[in-house]
Amino acid sequence: MKEAVRIQQEDFSQDEEIRALQTSSKRMGGIATFLGCARDFSEGREVSEISFDAYGSMALSELNRLRSDAIEKYALLDARIVHRVGTVKGGENIVFIAAGAEHRVAALEACRWMIDELKQRVPIWKKEFTPQGESWVTPHP
Amino acid sequence: MIRVLFFGPIAAATGEREVSVAHVPGLTLGSLKEMLAAQYPEATHLATMMAVNGEHVRDMSLALADNSEVAFMAKFSGG
Repeated sequence: MKEAVRIQQEDFSQDEEIRALQTSSKRMGGIATFLGCARDFSEGREVSEISFDAYGSMALSELNRLRSDAIEKYALLDARIVHRVGTVKGGENIVFIAAGAEHRVAALEACRWMIDELKQRVPIWKKEFTPQGESWVTPHP
Repeated sequence: MIRVLFFGPIAAATGEREVSVAHVPGLTLGSLKEMLAAQYPEATHLATMMAVNGEHVRDMSLALADNSEVAFMAKFSGG
């Protein structure tokens, strides 16, 4: 089985990730997921593709810590996080987060918390390519 | 030696991904940042966060051991 936390260039399968999460416990009554995708527009401009740069070793360790923190904070049965780096075209997948818990509330809240924390904690940077040129993204609050 | 890493917008601004700085006794994170400010003003301007050996560090008075890895990091934009 693939690692629960990964940074990779290639696309991922949501079905595979959810199946892997489900096999970790039969007590799981709710799974919440977040899928982040590449938009083909940003601030009024067309975006043809996005590229991601990461401080790989630190990003992986921060993602693992984020997963552990979420499991502890929300009493999850398991969680998985996959983030792509390299080039991602408009409409393609960027990040997938899945949280599994006995009940839906913990799963939903943990999933929201993990993507919000990921944006604050994990050293990954996004560059957008537009007809006007390329630019590094300034994060939204 | 201190290994200094630049990523994303900082790497683009400096034209470098990695530089080496000689370690001297008493070198702190803050003094390293000041040293690099003259050569890489963009790096110090954009670097809102710093990491030492892969851990977030806010205390600029932190003494750096020889062979430390220091990252200058702009605001993250993953996800």
